[in-house]
Amino acid sequence: MPVLTVKNLAKSYGRLVALEGLDLTVEAGQVFGLLGPNGSGKTTLLGMLLDVLHPSAGTFTWFEGAEASQVRRRIGAFLETPNFYPYLDADQNLSLVAAIKRVSNPPLDSLLELVQLKDRRRSPFRTYSLGMKQRLALAACLVGDPEVLILDEPTNGLDPQGMVEVRHIIQKIAAQGKTIILASHILDEVEKICSHVAIIKKGKLLAVGAIGSILSDQPTVEVGAADFEKLHQFLSSSSLVKKITRDDNRFVLELEPGRSPGDLNTLAFANGIVLDHLVMKRQSLEAEFLEITRK
Amino acid sequence: MNPLHLLKLEWMKYAPSGTFRVFAALYVGLFSLVVFLARSAGQNMTFTSNGEITHPLNGLFIYPHDWELLACIGSWMNAFVLGSLGVFMITLEFSNRTLRQSVIFGLTRLEVAVAKLVWAIALALAATGIYMILAWGGEVMDGSGLGLPPAGCVLGFFLQALGYLLLGVLAGLVIRQTALAFLAYLAYVLFLETVLRWIFYFSVAKTRLLLFLPDQVLGALTPMPVPESVSSMVNSSPFTRPLSLMEAAVGACLYLVLFALLFSRRIVKADL
Repeated sequence: MPVLTVKNLAKSYGRLVALEGLDLTVEAGQVFGLLGPNGSGKTTLLGMLLDVLHPSAGTFTWFEGAEASQVRRRIGAFLETPNFYPYLDADQNLSLVAAIKRVSNPPLDSLLELVQLKDRRRSPFRTYSLGMKQRLALAACLVGDPEVLILDEPTNGLDPQGMVEVRHIIQKIAAQGKTIILASHILDEVEKICSHVAIIKKGKLLAVGAIGSILSDQPTVEVGAADFEKLHQFLSSSSLVKKITRDDNRFVLELEPGRSPGDLNTLAFANGIVLDHLVMKRQSLEAEFLEITRK
Repeated sequence: MNPLHLLKLEWMKYAPSGTFRVFAALYVGLFSLVVFLARSAGQNMTFTSNGEITHPLNGLFIYPHDWELLACIGSWMNAFVLGSLGVFMITLEFSNRTLRQSVIFGLTRLEVAVAKLVWAIALALAATGIYMILAWGGEVMDGSGLGLPPAGCVLGFFLQALGYLLLGVLAGLVIRQTALAFLAYLAYVLFLETVLRWIFYFSVAKTRLLLFLPDQVLGALTPMPVPESVSSMVNSSPFTRPLSLMEAAVGACLYLVLFALLFSRRIVKADL
């Protein structure tokens, strides 16, 4: 069931086009990554989906056109930085969010436990570190047990420890079967957390689909042998190899479709070459991203 | 949309705020202090004429003029403290980006606007309540018994309190930066409107319509109780004759509707 359907959504600020006629569909249960460099239009897209920005053109539908007033309470979201009342503590801020969402008796204890803020629940928000603020924002998103979470750069500005903590929390939430829409410019983050991804650059949607379909099916293979010249001659003439790149005393190969590293190893041995190094690598999202955004 | 629910949300936001509490304390404290000083100084003030000692201001502290005097004193509190509170109410939201966060959490934009208006009405009612308590308190202290509040004074005070609050909210909404919005608001009510009015009066047109500018209208809701001789002196020019209470009330109501519409429209239409 589609949770979100976006059709030809666009946003312009005068002559500046922030988002150009974007179409995408997010299905229930997906962890959907919006990937793009800073300023690519990810936050603008989320801002429109959350009604804080007005679209210049196009439409979007949540939950197959459910009533607008109900839709928002089924979504938990934060955009960019966590925004709370600085003089209110975690309990007060979360109670306010619960009141907005009309959730009576919100499980504040378990939410604060999940985001590891229980021991600082009585401290004013302004005294929190950035990591704690991000974690409180995550807890706020979870008030009312929403079906969809929208997280915009949830690890922005965090130290490595904070990033890992926030990612773990997101993965825990995703494991509960919730739909998550996550905007990030951090490729590694999207690759680790998301099941699907849309790549956006300068307001244009460049690619969309499951992470597996965005990543090339053909693995990259790194090979090496004692007789480096002989290996080079063999690879250059082999019909199994599509592309060869030299990397110090190794070759990085892209195989022809349908060919496996096993085929290569067998053929090399048949030609008198013993490979002393054979590593299969999937192409990283980073490489795909760079390739897609270069086009 | 349940206005009481929206009022509860605003209460949850502002009641714990130190700044809000300072404004509330300032309003109650300053209002009470000025009333106390006015009563002690005014009632003890004597004037000797032909060897006869009179208390010229004593009449001001007798019902119903005591209500008019208190409303006039309160108008300063309304203009400065409540108006500034109006600025704070909205710039707090913009500086912390909590207005847009409320929409993200699930309020509709119209609910956000109505919540602020309902909160402003509640604050104006609370201010009117304080005014009434001070007036009755004075009557009790004088031993004159509780008089029925003059409807014109109470209604005028309420409209004025709400008017200044919304004027402050509008200043905050347009300027968004707390310090600049405070300065702009205070400059407007202190001198800007008056200066503009006189420039227009002397260089463009001598028209009484200039008395219908926002601060003039709101100020006219709580006129200073002055002796007949002084009032006839002021009323001598048709262009400067003060607005009647009815004129001021109608003008204030129109401004309130205008402010509320401008505010709601901006919240609903603008990118947050």
